[in-house]
Order: sequence, then C-alpha cells, then structure tokens
Amino acid sequence: MRIPRPAPRPAWDPIVPLIDVVFFLLVFFLLVGRMDATSPFEMAPPIATTGAPLPAGGATLTVAEDGALALDGAALPPQAVTARLRDRLAADPSLFIRVNAHRAAELRRVLPLIAQLEAMGAQDVALVVTPEAE
Amino acid sequence: MTEPIRLRRPRPVRTAISLAPMIDVLMIMLVFFMVTSTYLDLDMIRAVAPTTEETPATAPGPETETDAQAPTLLVRIDASGGAAVRGQPLSPPQLASLLRDTVTERPATQVLILPSGAAPMQALVTVMETATQAGATRLRVVRLEARP
Repeated sequence: MRIPRPAPRPAWDPIVPLIDVVFFLLVFFLLVGRMDATSPFEMAPPIATTGAPLPAGGATLTVAEDGALALDGAALPPQAVTARLRDRLAADPSLFIRVNAHRAAELRRVLPLIAQLEAMGAQDVALVVTPEAE
Repeated sequence: MTEPIRLRRPRPVRTAISLAPMIDVLMIMLVFFMVTSTYLDLDMIRAVAPTTEETPATAPGPETETDAQAPTLLVRIDASGGAAVRGQPLSPPQLASLLRDTVTERPATQVLILPSGAAPMQALVTVMETATQAGATRLRVVRLEARP
C-alpha cells in the first residue's frame, strides 16, 4: 500500500503572519517609547499637571534621591558633571539642559546645581516632571 | 533536414530567501526597544528660560503696576515640605486660596518661593504648580547662599 506523501508546502508560508506581527510590535514600541532620559538610578520625577511638553534633545542631568548625579545616563562625580557641562555650554550656549531630579531629592542637592548651570551660561534649563503618579 | 536546435532555458530557481536570520534580527530589535524605552509621560517646567522672549506683549499703561510697585509674596517651604506665608503655616488649599486672592487683587504680584534646603523636590514643584494655577505669572525661586 502506498501512502501518498502530502505535497511539500513552501516553508515560509506560515512565517509571514509572524513577521507581520513582529513588525507591528517593533513599530509600536518605536513610536510609544522614548529613548532619552534613561538614568542609572531609580527615577521618579515630581508630579505636576501644569508642565509643558518636554522637547527631545539636549543634555539630561539626573539627580538621584540621595543626590548622586548622572549626565546623559552615565553616573559621574559632581566635578566631572560640571566640567562636561561647562565644555558643552562653551560649544553651544543655547544647549537645552533638563534636570531630572527625584521627587524626594533634597532641594539643597538640586537648586545649587541649577544656579551653577545658570552661572556657567546656560540659557535653557527645565525641570522634568510627570503628570501622572505611577 | 536538421532539426532546429532547442536551447533549454534554465529553469527559474525559486529563490527561497531564508527568513530565519531576518526574524532573528527583528526579534532582537523588538526586545531592544522594549527594554530601552521608557514609557513614563514626561513634561517640563522651565527653570531658566531663554531670554529671547523678554519683550512684554503689552506696554505698561498708567493703570498697570510697574515691576517696582508690584508687591511680593514670599512663600517659605520648610524642611518637611510644608508651606508658610508671613510666618503662618498653610495647608495646600489655604495656600491656593491665598495665592488666588492675592493674584486676583494684584495681578503683577511677584511670588517668591524660599525653600529650605532639606525640603524635597516635590514640595517645591507642588508650590510652583499651586502658584501657576492661581494665575501668578511672576514666579521666582530664591535660595539662601552662605557668604564665602
């Protein structure tokens, strides 16, 4: 008795919907997520509903709850942060600097930084807030 | 009679591109974007504004107060984050109504916020937000600096 073999189907046939879904997810995450403002610390910006939309670009200065600093996602000692920002401000005085401070960070760790930035010639400094409590 | 030579066409090869590497790459990109993105909705409050928009829209008329005449209201924030005006500790609703009354009466009122260094960031942002919602347009954060 001969059992007929099923005709070989093209191997990629059932994969096409999978690729569709993966592409869809990829585009979704590209659109929904934002790649900036990452930080090495656990961040929780202060809650405020009157904030303006945060533009992309610029430098991100992160202040952790205990006052530790990070510039553009890299944890650095305060002197290094100041030195780097001074260099960047010297190159581009209109550099947008966002200060992403933890909502429980003490103000004596945050306000002198902003004063320092202003003294270094920064013209555009913004505090990062979030309109929602997680 | 010779038969015409039949050239045999090569059969078109079904180019079955292997899709596995492409799927691998897509999956890696997908996981990358899922892991590296943050989904928190972020806004901003300007701390230092660019000085280009310094020109006031309306020229100060005779009835509008000039900056020198405008009263100031000092809001202090203590170490625990509570607000106080003129030595009186105020609850958030009290502060909001005081600010609203003051700003409605004298729109040019300058609101100064003097936070304690030990106050948390959230306390300052909350007071700033209360003042903004009350309609204060001239808002300034001051801080005490040790004399060198």
